[in-house]
Amino acid sequence: MRTSEKLANPSGQPVAIAIRRLTKTYPSPFILASLLGRPPRKPPVQALRDVSFDVHDGEIFGLIGPNGAGKTTLTKIIATLVQPTSGSVTVKGFDSVSEQPALRKLIGLATAEERSFYWRLTLEQNLMFFARLYGMPKSQARARIAELLAQVDLENSAHQRFGQLSTGNKQRMAIARALLNKPPILLLDEPTRSLDPLAAVRMRSFIGSLALGDSPVTVLLTSHNLNEIEELCGRIAIISHGCIRELDTPDRIRTLHKARERVRLVLDGISRESAVRMLAPKLSEVEVSEDGSKTIVTFAREVDDDRLDRGLRAVLENHTRVISCETERASLLEVLEAFEREEAVKGNAKL
Amino acid sequence: MRRIFSLLGRMRAFVVRDFQLAISYRLAFFLRVLTILIVVTIAYYISRIFVGREGNLFVEWRDPLAAWITGLAVLNYFMTNFSSLANAIRNEQLQGTLESVLMTPISVPGLIVASSTLDFFEATLYSSLYLVFGAFFFGVTYDGSYLLAFMILILTTLVFASLGILSASFAMVFKRGDPIAVLLGTSTAVFSGVFFPPQLLPEGMQNISKILPATYGLEAIRGVLIEDNGLNEARGPIATLLIFLAVLLPISLWVFSRAVRRAKREGSLIQY
Repeated sequence: MRTSEKLANPSGQPVAIAIRRLTKTYPSPFILASLLGRPPRKPPVQALRDVSFDVHDGEIFGLIGPNGAGKTTLTKIIATLVQPTSGSVTVKGFDSVSEQPALRKLIGLATAEERSFYWRLTLEQNLMFFARLYGMPKSQARARIAELLAQVDLENSAHQRFGQLSTGNKQRMAIARALLNKPPILLLDEPTRSLDPLAAVRMRSFIGSLALGDSPVTVLLTSHNLNEIEELCGRIAIISHGCIRELDTPDRIRTLHKARERVRLVLDGISRESAVRMLAPKLSEVEVSEDGSKTIVTFAREVDDDRLDRGLRAVLENHTRVISCETERASLLEVLEAFEREEAVKGNAKL
Repeated sequence: MRRIFSLLGRMRAFVVRDFQLAISYRLAFFLRVLTILIVVTIAYYISRIFVGREGNLFVEWRDPLAAWITGLAVLNYFMTNFSSLANAIRNEQLQGTLESVLMTPISVPGLIVASSTLDFFEATLYSSLYLVFGAFFFGVTYDGSYLLAFMILILTTLVFASLGILSASFAMVFKRGDPIAVLLGTSTAVFSGVFFPPQLLPEGMQNISKILPATYGLEAIRGVLIEDNGLNEARGPIATLLIFLAVLLPISLWVFSRAVRRAKREGSLIQY
């Protein structure tokens, strides 16, 4: 794990969210039997283990991991909705346990949960309710609501009931609400989960724009969509089984991890059968297909092994023309899968 | 002072929201009013059975219609306010809005109080309708002090609010199957004297009526409204209600703070 070396914050950037040695163990559910001293049926669940990292001011920070990795627990602890078992979270210096009201003024949370609004109220009525809870005066709230609805392209739906909105528009409303009191920090939990591709692109562009401008918003983005994370985030943390496994820029994480890459050769002047005869003795697990007059050869290799040399040498010795040679670098998905494999191996070793 | 203004602002937010939600179900309001009118009408015709009977042992029941209407109005008030507090968190959980509301700078106790505000106003309106319909359609009149009766009503409501907070704590930890709501609702309706004097019950059961705050609230309010009792005559039940409040309020607040802490530790506050 390379997290600890990041804690020193060598960039010297101001810290928006500081997470220190955070652990969360969900206790066994409280049942009447426990009052009688009976042991609980369900054991405690350790959701986070010694998690430490910083999110810098104005950055878009990505948190990725498989289901049950601890992403939502971490987001909820930052949002003060769940208390940690040990360790601390501070947002702009405010502690998530002892200074909750002050901290909540600094963060907005947008989830893909459609039921978090009142479906029979209009968009304006919904936002006005939350604005009042933030203590905003009516005139200021009206102006802010109009501004936000315009920002998320919903200004023409202000008097429409929330229940009548499409899924994509409901998610935009969630972001509008999260930005209502102009928080400097935004927690986004899968903001494009139910969006069609076009709407997702627009949403990503909107999220990207938040970190720009005069008063940039710090974004902690949780997503299963790895392309989205790669596109938007300056740094990412990979969380698995409650631990931060990697924390760096997407590019560096890909290179730090010894992953496999896929090689694609496009050849000319050779049939599929000849290509198989030529390459099969040199390379195992090679796939050959035809695309019109071209023959396409694909195979996987460990980064820096000699399979590409051997393949190319065989092709050139056969006087076959190479039209193109492309390598597909390890994706974050592969990195993530590699961690899961490692965890599985560790689990088996323990058994 | 600033905290009080802040709480008032949030109460206003919830009142406006709940009113907007309520008027989106217009028919429900009219049906509720109609139900009250039907109940008062039925009570009137049942009361006609007793016309001309002499020697009623129970002074507050000489006019059974007045006693029933008062009992129903007060029971409606108590139970609405009790359940409103108990269900405040649960309603938000069921709607799925609890998480987003708790993301604003509102505390859990603040949320419970604020989200019950409109229910208190509604309970006042609907309970008043029992009295208004009784007076307007069936000639039931009250001679006593409305102000004193209202003060006793508020005192009893505070006792019920304490029980409501206990019930809310239970709902927060166990989610469903709150025994306080079941026991209080049933026993208050049967044993506190809403429909008949508790003195008619067998002696053992009369003891149940003695541990219910509604018994004292009803006795005092009926005494004031129907028998024109003053503060002096009502001091017995008022003192008992004050003792209930002095015991229940601190206990319920302590239990509630423990329940909130437990729910946050378990991460189950937003589950239902």
